[in-house]
Amino acid sequence: MINISNLCVRMADVRRTYLQGRTSIHALVAATCTVAPRERIAVVGPSGSGKSTLLHLMGGIDTPTAGLIAWPALGERETLRPFKVAFVFQTMSLISSLTALENAALPLLLAGTEVSEAEQTAFEALAAIGLEAAADKLPEELSGGQAQRVAVARALASHPRLILADEPTGQLDHPTAQQLFDVLLDCLEETDTALVVATHDAAVARRMNTVWRVHHGRLEVQER
Amino acid sequence: MINRWLRGLFTNRAGRLAGAAAGVALTVTLLASMGIFLASSSVTMTQRAVAEVPVDWQVQFNSNADEATVRDAVVSTPGYKSLQTVEYANVAGLSARTGGTVQTTGPGKVLGISPRYGAAFPSMIRLLTGSDQGILVAQQTAANLHVKEGDKVTIMRIGLLPVQVTVDGVVELPYADFLFQAIGVPSGAAPQAPPDNVLLLPQGAWYRIFDPQAQQRPDTVQKQFHVRLFHRRLPTDPTAAYTNVIHLANNLEARVAGSALVGNNLAARLAAVRADALYARVLFLFLGLPGAILGILLTLSVTASGRRHLLQEQALLRVRGASTGQIIRYESTEALIVGVGGILLGAALTLAARNILVQTSALVNRLSLWWLAATATAGLLLATSAVLFPAWRQARRNTVTASRALVRISGNPLWKKLYLDVLLLGFAVFVYWRTAQSGYQVVLAPEGVPQISVHYEAFIAPLCFWLGGVLLARRIWENGAPRARRPLSGLLRGIAGNLSTVVTASLERQRLLVGRGIALVALAFAFAVSTAVFNTTYNAQARVDAELTNGSDVTVTGSTGAPAGLQLEEIRKLANVEAAQPMMHRFAYVGSDLQDMYGIDPAHIAEAARMSNAYFAGGSASESLSLLARYPDGVLVSEETRQDFQLNPGDHLDLRLQFASDHRYHTVPFRFIGVVREFPTAPSDSFLVANSAYIARQTGSDVREVILVRSSGDPSALAARLRKVVSTLPGVKVTDIGSVQKAVSSSLTSVDLHGLTRLELVFAVLMVMGATGLVFALGLNERRRNFAILDALGARQRQLEAFMWSEALVVLLGGAIAGTLLGVGIARILVTGLKGVFDPPPEHLILPWAYLATLTVSSVLATAAAVLGARRMSRGSVVEELRRL
Repeated sequence: MINISNLCVRMADVRRTYLQGRTSIHALVAATCTVAPRERIAVVGPSGSGKSTLLHLMGGIDTPTAGLIAWPALGERETLRPFKVAFVFQTMSLISSLTALENAALPLLLAGTEVSEAEQTAFEALAAIGLEAAADKLPEELSGGQAQRVAVARALASHPRLILADEPTGQLDHPTAQQLFDVLLDCLEETDTALVVATHDAAVARRMNTVWRVHHGRLEVQER
Repeated sequence: MINRWLRGLFTNRAGRLAGAAAGVALTVTLLASMGIFLASSSVTMTQRAVAEVPVDWQVQFNSNADEATVRDAVVSTPGYKSLQTVEYANVAGLSARTGGTVQTTGPGKVLGISPRYGAAFPSMIRLLTGSDQGILVAQQTAANLHVKEGDKVTIMRIGLLPVQVTVDGVVELPYADFLFQAIGVPSGAAPQAPPDNVLLLPQGAWYRIFDPQAQQRPDTVQKQFHVRLFHRRLPTDPTAAYTNVIHLANNLEARVAGSALVGNNLAARLAAVRADALYARVLFLFLGLPGAILGILLTLSVTASGRRHLLQEQALLRVRGASTGQIIRYESTEALIVGVGGILLGAALTLAARNILVQTSALVNRLSLWWLAATATAGLLLATSAVLFPAWRQARRNTVTASRALVRISGNPLWKKLYLDVLLLGFAVFVYWRTAQSGYQVVLAPEGVPQISVHYEAFIAPLCFWLGGVLLARRIWENGAPRARRPLSGLLRGIAGNLSTVVTASLERQRLLVGRGIALVALAFAFAVSTAVFNTTYNAQARVDAELTNGSDVTVTGSTGAPAGLQLEEIRKLANVEAAQPMMHRFAYVGSDLQDMYGIDPAHIAEAARMSNAYFAGGSASESLSLLARYPDGVLVSEETRQDFQLNPGDHLDLRLQFASDHRYHTVPFRFIGVVREFPTAPSDSFLVANSAYIARQTGSDVREVILVRSSGDPSALAARLRKVVSTLPGVKVTDIGSVQKAVSSSLTSVDLHGLTRLELVFAVLMVMGATGLVFALGLNERRRNFAILDALGARQRQLEAFMWSEALVVLLGGAIAGTLLGVGIARILVTGLKGVFDPPPEHLILPWAYLATLTVSSVLATAAAVLGARRMSRGSVVEELRRL
């Protein structure tokens, strides 16, 4: 029996429609789902199916056109980021003028953490993913895999309750992608953090407990 | 296809089009406005110069001249308006018996004029007392003979019995120098002092008295035609007018085959003004060219910001089969839009600015159209260079593959490697030092020579200083930013809170982009501050020029017979009279040279009249006046007098002054204590300054002819009240500094630069806005992306803006400080290099604090507007931006 108050995310009949010129784009249609702590969820579907829209709504970046979305265990939408919900994007999501350490510390600084404490925590996050040596490097000096690992460290640094990863391995080769995912799952192993990953990668999807399929904006929840 | 291309340009590149067009518009506006101001100033200078020439030509007959032939030649001269005949006769002396004594003068002149002479040349004769018709005696002569209207004067003719006449009036001859000039002497010869003893007779009386002398001694009489030309027919440019008048006079002399010579007063005045006109042109270059360069740089920077898109667009077009010609045609549309849009906007702004700068007239309208046409061409050229040329070069040079690759240039730019900033500054210092040492004259206008020249190399120092200083500021920022993180972070803490360290880090790593913004803002500030400091100093010196001419805010000028000092106490009681000091104006012989002598109270004169250090040589004003106070018999003389008599401080100097007891000149001993260069109301010739108490004691006359008045309110209103107070004193003149400043001889200082200063302030503020706006525009895509990421990470609005406000603060503060320091330095170079503009030269720069405050506040507001605009453009849809990641 699921205790609703413990849920990270609860969505009921959520719709999201965009206007593109005169055309209405139904990015998400009647989505109903929940995310509980410690869940490992893969969201799969073809390009343009609505995966990113679903993650954006879950993370509070976007607002639904209709339906209910709530974060019973996390609080109101305005308080989700940076401490409770963290994002990992596909690529190029680091601030190019900041070092790996400064990028990783950003969520903490945005939340008002003191600089020295934020940098210490960020350094520990980088160390956890094996990138402490790259702390002073700029994004242009990192490989694609390293940059994505910094993005992961940034997400982990704030110890969020929910991580939303939108195609985190999309630009990486297979071995690197696997390596990244290993690091992510290892770091979350002992935590209650839920992980929702939008992915094309079948290998990544297989490693998750639950698979949601999105097709033309419609969400199908499939359990393993 | 062209229509689609145009639609795409307006839809997707509107910002860049507007920015480039604005740059073109600013450049066109500044150049056209400066040009209109310059042309209008030339017209103003010419008009004022010719209006104040008392007699355009004095045509002197030679002994064999046929009057009718000369008259016909003069009348047939193009531009001839009118002439009056003036007869001159030398006399052995004049005498008069008044009060039981007989006064006799030395040799003098008696003139014969027609009753219409005063109307034809009104400024030549000013009535002091009595009637302006009949027998008139000059003021100094009346003082020498102690006569007034009704008294009899005996004229001692040469070789004939004396003749007695009755005085009808006493007059002043303000332009005695012109009236009695030696015509036909070689240029460069020393000017002849006018005679001390002058009588004016009606022509009928003159012929009756002097025709016999003319028969016996024809060498003692002369005839002149005083000629007036139509000034409206002269060219508006002073140099062209000068050349025109010279040619007319030469042509006249040729036509009369040497039987007459032309004293060309009009050409002499225009000769001085043409140098001033050229100085105005020099000012145009010094003050306006940097602004135009700035406008061009801004336009080029705006168009360069779109280089990436240009490369992508061209690559896509070529992949799809477009030829080079087609690509150039498409890019030409952008150049045309930028050019035409900028020109139209610039023309509208120019016409609006014109009304601030100059007084409009039909002539000014014609000049405006000409300048607009010329600068429109320049604007089109700029648009072509900025937009089309890079596109053409790109289209012709690269392959498709190379066009799609974006190559980032790394390493120091060439100017940094070559230390161009240091080289430019060093060269500027060298040229400045050379200018200061050698008494360098920018404009050379030799007397009597039609050609004048400008030493354009004088531009080098301020231009190099401006460019070198800005590059140095950029180097200091780019090299110093990594080392200055901590203080910079502290500075930004108020804006960015605990994000200040990452904001500082971000700024430091974007230092090249930020440096470019600092450089542009510094250029704009340096331009505005240098022109403002120069203009303020210039306008202050224009006032000094007027102060020297008028003496004080208001000056009451009487004569020995009707001294203004009689009303001193009444004047002091008037409201708004801050101080009133009397001054003697006598005449004294230094050897055989009659000079003006001013008797002052050295302890108090500075209460009513400004005493600049520049007026005195060898010491400050207070030191020189203290010396005069310490030595009652002390006298300050001109440098020329000091050299003529080889005087050293403390040397004895005998002067001859007129005594009240017998009205004769007697020797009075003085002690030479120093050299005076300028003095309120004093002429540009040699003059003397001494203690009025000593003069009064020695001459027996304590009369104070002049009163200098300092006003605490409006001088012209005070002058009106003073006129009522002195109305009982005949012939007393009251002048205020405002009227004098407008009417002062048509030198460059009479050109009002206030409108120009306002234009340049507006331009500088727009440049600052453009510079900061450009910095944000250049990083717009990156900023949108970063905003989206930060938003996704949970940043609040204030935190998002911290990056932008911090960047704006660094750009504005860095640029403003560097620009202000540079601007003051450039102003110093300008004042030194253009010292021919100033008379006397300024002692120090005058900082326009109100202007600087306005510039600062305007720049802050302009920067804030740029930030708010950039914030609006950067806050696109977060979701859309995240999709692009």
